[in-house]
Amino acid sequence: MTSFTIRVAAESDLDEIMRIENDSFQSDAWSVQNMHDEIVGAEKFYVVAHSTEDENTLIGYAGLAKSVDTSQGDIQTIAVSNEHRSKGLGRELMHRLIAECRRVRISEVFLEVRADNPIAQELYVKLGFEQIDLRKRYYQPDNVDAIVMRLTLEAQSNLEPLVLGIESSCDETGIGIVRGNTLLANVISSSMQMHVRFGGVVPEVAARAHLEALKSTLDEALAKAKVSLNEIDAIAVANGPGLAGALMVGIAAAKALAVSLDKPIYAVNHLVGHVGVDVLERGQVETPTIALLVSGGHTSLLLVRDLIDDVELLGETIDDAAGEAFDKVARVLGLNYPGGPEIDRAAEGGDPQAIRFPRALTLPKDMDRHRYDFSFSGLKTAVARHVEVAQAKLEAGEEVDFNIADVAASFREAVVDVLVGKAVKACLEHKVPRLLLGGGVVANRRLREVAQQRCDENKIELRIPALSLCTDNGAMIAALGAQLIMANRAPSSLNFGADSTLSVTTVQSA
Amino acid sequence: MSILLAIDTSAGTSVALFRDGVLAAELNVTDNMKHAETVGTAIISVLTQAGVAAREVQEVVVGRGPAPFTGLRVGIAAAVMFAEGSGAKLSGLVSLDAIALTALKQRPASETRPLLVTTDARRSEVYWALYSGLSEKGVAVRTEGPQVLKPAALEELLAARNIDADTTNLTITGSAVGELALALRAAGQLERDISALYLRAPDAVEPKASGVFGKRVSS
Repeated sequence: MTSFTIRVAAESDLDEIMRIENDSFQSDAWSVQNMHDEIVGAEKFYVVAHSTEDENTLIGYAGLAKSVDTSQGDIQTIAVSNEHRSKGLGRELMHRLIAECRRVRISEVFLEVRADNPIAQELYVKLGFEQIDLRKRYYQPDNVDAIVMRLTLEAQSNLEPLVLGIESSCDETGIGIVRGNTLLANVISSSMQMHVRFGGVVPEVAARAHLEALKSTLDEALAKAKVSLNEIDAIAVANGPGLAGALMVGIAAAKALAVSLDKPIYAVNHLVGHVGVDVLERGQVETPTIALLVSGGHTSLLLVRDLIDDVELLGETIDDAAGEAFDKVARVLGLNYPGGPEIDRAAEGGDPQAIRFPRALTLPKDMDRHRYDFSFSGLKTAVARHVEVAQAKLEAGEEVDFNIADVAASFREAVVDVLVGKAVKACLEHKVPRLLLGGGVVANRRLREVAQQRCDENKIELRIPALSLCTDNGAMIAALGAQLIMANRAPSSLNFGADSTLSVTTVQSA
Repeated sequence: MSILLAIDTSAGTSVALFRDGVLAAELNVTDNMKHAETVGTAIISVLTQAGVAAREVQEVVVGRGPAPFTGLRVGIAAAVMFAEGSGAKLSGLVSLDAIALTALKQRPASETRPLLVTTDARRSEVYWALYSGLSEKGVAVRTEGPQVLKPAALEELLAARNIDADTTNLTITGSAVGELALALRAAGQLERDISALYLRAPDAVEPKASGVFGKRVSS
């Protein structure tokens, strides 16, 4: 299974669209001229899909006619190429069209579907469409009836709330602004450079930096989103898990904003935010999904059955976070902070199989208690021992065969192997064909490569949000807040505090 | 009508609202572990008591400490964002100065010794500052500090300089911060600086240098 990308159609997509059109609608395909007029039409909205690996070959498209005057929309067409059907692409294409309808405040969406196509009908019903009419022998020359369906989009203000999200759980001060599922701004001020000389995040340094970055980060986010504070419908803030002192800065800021603007506040779970961020790229988080969240502070494996109602922690690190392991091993190898990119550089050209570093908690005896848990402190010690042995030999005047590229590559391979191995195992054992990655360590190319490879082998759909949405950010907090509002959840009270060990089962704090 | 909101989290959570220079509402929560939990409801509480809407607030003034790290930031972060949201003007002042003003106003005119204000800095230390008295404009005149010291070291320092100081056991309140802000404004001395007065560097140790292949780790 491959992952795919959906984008707005361009005139240059015409040939590819017609290829699928002619394959899919052999008896009643549109003409090239018709299709061209549709794609470029003023009140039309067409999207196309391609696989993430191959941007040039389209695998599906869908189109919408929208009349803002009557606030009605009409699904014009939708097609997915033969070999890419039954993978949820049709549903994603429909989501994009419906999202566009919401964006332009359309209240009713219509479509016709062939009476002899129960699979499509079932999809539309799942999306909320209902049958309102039957047109006899509508499809010619096949003489097939058309079922007319309608989706009503409620015209309530919480349909697409404008939400400002604040994130301060570690060393990034993030302020994001979303309108419903649409990203408007994602501004991050990082104190990472201040931690370099300490070789890791110093909580007090991070918290001080948050306070100093608040105002400028807010101003920049508002400018990017082109909105004023008075337009904001609600404030969302991460209240855990994370560094308590750092979280408190964001919480105090969020509460004061909410009180000064007289707007509701939503206290949301930082880790679930990493999962929820997918709505900004795909319009929804397809569930169930396994989520692997790896950063300098977390290494968690989640089973998400429903983004706001049902998140389960399958496992987490019992000692160091994966990102922390990279930082510590970087130090052991005399490299700088942050360790991830440094070790990546050092590993270039190295043999990942050169040294067999331990894969903790992967033995059969660990499967009872730590089936989906991780441990990286032993791995760090193993690398340190390896360095020590080489150092001792050198001091004794012996010949030393020490290749830092091999050590770095082998260490990285051990981390990635365990992370991806357990995540894929969780997908297979829970029969969940989806894996979502989040957290700063996703920036590691080897992790993404191995994840893609093993997901492909196991027919698991892999989702990797844009890196700016994978690292800690305010947009994911705003997005999760918006999801809660759109689900008509009541705001949090103003009494919540920072919870450094907040459980993922608490998506929103009261 | 001029509305001023005073916020201070250098000890507990202290909030006060002044209308046309007169205290209209005040809330001082002494719990010094619950700043983040308390700050939102505390602000709402004084707004409600005074019958004022948030957007009517024209001035926000915040105590900059000195104070131990975590709680202090809550008040400053809240003040910054409340000012952003309400469009109010933001200023800051030294929390010890507000305590000094109250103490100096309360003490008999016959008392002319310098005033020593101390607050708990934790880790067996105190924050301290010395005041010579009230200025003509009614502002506490700070002659030393704010600094952080062990109580014994502070005593030694005062003794060595032959300072016989009057002391106070007053603690910070929202109204004291507001009173000082009004006095400073009247004197043209109210400042925009809202930076936190930690007076201590963060606890952090730089790792040792690396060996030939890297750092030697012995465990």
